Amino acid sequence: MFLKIVKNDFIRNKISTISVLLFITMAVILATSAVNNVTTLIQSMAKLEERAVPADIAQMHTGEFDQAEIDRFTLQYRDHIAMQETMILQNVDGSNIHFSQNQTLAGTIQDISFVVQNRKFDFILNLDNEKLDVKEGFVAVPIYFMEQHDLKIGDTITVKSGGYEKEFVISDYARDFEMNSSLTSSKRFVINHNDFHEMFVIGPGEMEYLIEFKLNKNGDADTVQTAYIEAGLPANGPSIRGKMFLLFNAMSDIAVAMVIILISILLLIIAFLCIRLTFLASIDEDLREIGVMKAMGISKEDIKKVYLNKYRAISLIAGIIGYLLSLATVNLLNGNIKLYISSDLSGSLNYLLSLIAPLLVYFIIVMYCKRVLKRIDKISAVEALRRDSIEHGKNGKHHFPLIKNKFFSINIYMGLVDVWKRFKLYRLLFVIFIVCTFIVILPVNIFNTMTSPEFSTYMGIGKQDMRIDLRRTDRITEDFIKLQQELENDNDIEKFATYVTSSYPVKNEEGSWNYMNIEIGDFSAFPLNYLEGRGPEREGEISLSFANAAKDGLNKQVGDEVTVRVGGREQSLTVTGIYQDITNGGKTAKANANLGVNEKAVLWYIVSMDMVDGVNIPAKMDYYQNAYSTAQVNDIKEYTQQTLGNIINQMGTVVIGGIAIAIIIAVLITALFLRMLLSKDISQIAIMRSVGLTLKQINHQYMAGTMMVLVVGIILGVVIANLLGEFLVSMAMSSMGAAKIEFVHIVWQTWLLCPLALITTVGWTIFMSCKVAVKDDLSVVLRS
Amino acid sequence: MTYIIEARNMNKKVMLGKGHEIHILKDVNLEIEEGEFVSVMGASGSGKTTLLYNISGMDRLTSGSVKFNGREIGSLKEEELAKIRLKSMGFIFHDINLLKNLSLIDNIMFPALVSTEANKNSVNHKAKKLMKMTGIDKLANHNINQGSGGQLQRAGICRALINDPDIIFGDEPTGALDSKSTEEIMSILGEINKSGTTIMLVTHDVKVAAKTERILFMVDGNIVSHKKMRKYDAQQNDSREREEDLLKWLVENGF
Ligand SMILES: Nc1ncnc2c1ncn2[C@@H]1O[C@H](COP(=O)(O)OP(=O)(O)O)[C@@H](O)[C@H]1O
Ligand SMILES: [Mg+2]
Repeated sequence: MFLKIVKNDFIRNKISTISVLLFITMAVILATSAVNNVTTLIQSMAKLEERAVPADIAQMHTGEFDQAEIDRFTLQYRDHIAMQETMILQNVDGSNIHFSQNQTLAGTIQDISFVVQNRKFDFILNLDNEKLDVKEGFVAVPIYFMEQHDLKIGDTITVKSGGYEKEFVISDYARDFEMNSSLTSSKRFVINHNDFHEMFVIGPGEMEYLIEFKLNKNGDADTVQTAYIEAGLPANGPSIRGKMFLLFNAMSDIAVAMVIILISILLLIIAFLCIRLTFLASIDEDLREIGVMKAMGISKEDIKKVYLNKYRAISLIAGIIGYLLSLATVNLLNGNIKLYISSDLSGSLNYLLSLIAPLLVYFIIVMYCKRVLKRIDKISAVEALRRDSIEHGKNGKHHFPLIKNKFFSINIYMGLVDVWKRFKLYRLLFVIFIVCTFIVILPVNIFNTMTSPEFSTYMGIGKQDMRIDLRRTDRITEDFIKLQQELENDNDIEKFATYVTSSYPVKNEEGSWNYMNIEIGDFSAFPLNYLEGRGPEREGEISLSFANAAKDGLNKQVGDEVTVRVGGREQSLTVTGIYQDITNGGKTAKANANLGVNEKAVLWYIVSMDMVDGVNIPAKMDYYQNAYSTAQVNDIKEYTQQTLGNIINQMGTVVIGGIAIAIIIAVLITALFLRMLLSKDISQIAIMRSVGLTLKQINHQYMAGTMMVLVVGIILGVVIANLLGEFLVSMAMSSMGAAKIEFVHIVWQTWLLCPLALITTVGWTIFMSCKVAVKDDLSVVLRS
Repeated sequence: MTYIIEARNMNKKVMLGKGHEIHILKDVNLEIEEGEFVSVMGASGSGKTTLLYNISGMDRLTSGSVKFNGREIGSLKEEELAKIRLKSMGFIFHDINLLKNLSLIDNIMFPALVSTEANKNSVNHKAKKLMKMTGIDKLANHNINQGSGGQLQRAGICRALINDPDIIFGDEPTGALDSKSTEEIMSILGEINKSGTTIMLVTHDVKVAAKTERILFMVDGNIVSHKKMRKYDAQQNDSREREEDLLKWLVENGF
């Protein structure tokens, strides 16, 4: 019998039922896909880790190196260290790597090195997660470059430098657990041992060493690292912990999953509103029946069950359909995982676990319905006979006398007054418009922020036209001096400043020494935005990145002291400011130039510059790139975009998806709402017609009201997306080192294009839905 | 003699579900003179309301013609009909039918303010005058749920009068009122009629009908007979006689 009532209700409220079904289904699809993807990510990460056996501690080093010392150290700490291996990296500049017709890898911000496969651990794998075994004349290219330059297996790359020239055929993708991500700034090409040897002897490579440790189960990374530094072993370069590799690998997928889950939560909220709307409408229609049923002594619980069963059925159907469809949509999301982490995504755990999403949605919906249905308790048999006495003409609400209306035509005025008088009703629509605007604006803002030059703020870089990075080579110091002289004499350069990053021992909270990269130079030339305080302007001052100043870093605040060892002497530096930086794992520092360079551990030089107005920046970039082939010349935008890599692409997809979803929702609900409103108001409309209003004039009233709700909703939505959105994104990003994201507004997009898109589509819907198609005789409604 | 309403062979049929049709008005003919005060009586379901709505162009006839001030209204567009209703007709309903979002005075002014050329101050002035005449001037800024039935119906009459219509239609305007309110409403309508406005009322109440000058009697979709009387004049104190006279006539016609 209940089934029959549910079926009847389905037929009566066809459109609204279908919309609720649609929204819940969409929410289930998104949530299930996201959960499925995260499960897949965790699973395949574990598998990949098992195969690749990444290091727990990896120390980069350039310069003198003695393996025997390291072997002694390993032996001494064998309680902690299971295995040690040193990988030799031959750094080759991107401009020396040629492919297809006449392209090179110049301009990449990645450090490229050629290596051979390790013997004990930290293996570089092929797409089947098997250890790469590259034959002579072949090369395995990192996935990052395969993707970025659309390379295929069988293509060739040529390494040309000085007297060395050799062509390699690409035999494999190189899946590299440690350096997969665009956020890790090094990439390893794997070649055969013989080719490596040849390159070693005559080749162009600058040597670099990757000293890696695999610890025992109970091995303590902190102990080993501190002991390593204390022992004065080679440490001229950054050192990375195993956890970092995990984070970098998972980040872009986690970020996308978070955005998708956020959207699915918003969809659920919309489904709630829809349920409320349909329920309010149908309870209005059923008021008499409910009253009668109550009078007949049927219990409230049984009456509620009738309504509840409808939504139980809807959630069940939506859950099943959504789950099944997610089996298809998840393939749109897991492309990244497939490529970078595991090509074989078979397995069933993820499908099983992602059942959580539809089940959760089901229970949330049922719980919400139970809450809404509490209204039935309040309906008395008396009230049932005096319908809609509740909303209209409320006492105490402010009057808007027609005589006071100076600005609007009377019909527009009537529409606006109606919104005020029955705000409870319009509130539903209002919230929908806010949510839809939010869904459009937030991804647009994130996208614009990530692709804007201002994003450099979050990478610890001041605003500048161009930057030249000089990385570890034998000629690094000469090049640096020569570059400075040349810039001095270049009239096109308005100003430039040089920064040297080297590694210094810094005293941590426990009183032992850790190595930390500190950049020194004149930070007033290209000032950063500081979260707190200011830059290191005077001698003895230092500023720290957010992650470095945080609890799990040095745990310092502005005004605290940091002890640094330079040239064997301890110096105490005052923290003057904290800035945001998501590069190099988020832990960086900037000190006044007077600190002095740690000559033995120089990592890189950076030159920042601004051009005189009107100078052709790309041409300048080309010039310096050619003159200093080992340097990386970038404008800031390119630099940030290459670092963020495919997160930007994925965000772009989310932007388009967000706009589509928002518009579908807004259009559907508006149509639904107006249909309900017009049928609710049928007698008021008839009265106005009897008085002599034309249908057109009445349409204008409803259009004015809903358009105002739309416009105010959009304005509020934009504001909320900006404020709340910044807060949400900042929270998500604070683990990476950016604690206070400020969105970059492209005003014509956030305030013009997106609102306009919503206004035109929804406005059109309003226009179409407000056409009160009354062919009927007026007496049908008005007769007594 | 000029007719404000001239209706010929009015037929109204309504479809009830599939194929089942009911014939509500059957070849009805009717003329109403300018300035006349007419009432329609008849059993419930005889088609009185239907007649009123079709004469006034609120419903569309199935066949036949209705001329209002010499103009055929059956062929007019929705907008032209609306304009006629706005400018030349007034309606008073059994259910009063005021707009819920507006105060009493705004309900009264509303039809006047709809036309763009309206002067707000003079409309306001006129509304106040009408309210004073009907004795509800104290309620001007009240909500519509704050007045009694009689007070609201007076507001309904004021609304009907605001655009100086040629004719006022009333569908049992006193049906829900007590006898004292009914009396007062009828005297207001009498005054209005005296000033030249044509009035056509549907009523069940003999006391109401006795204060009009012509009574139409409807049976089963037909006007079966008329009764013509002198214009009512309160000074003459003959309402008793008029009522008895009318009642006798009604009984003769099978009321
Ligand atoms: N739209 C309609 N649909 C069905 N029946 C109708 C419709 N309009 C009127 N009727 C029927 O026509 C008859 C006459 O109605 P009505 O004009 O309201 O009578 P009266 O006002 O004299 O009581 C009644 O039986 C009524 O049920
Ligand atoms: Mg009737």
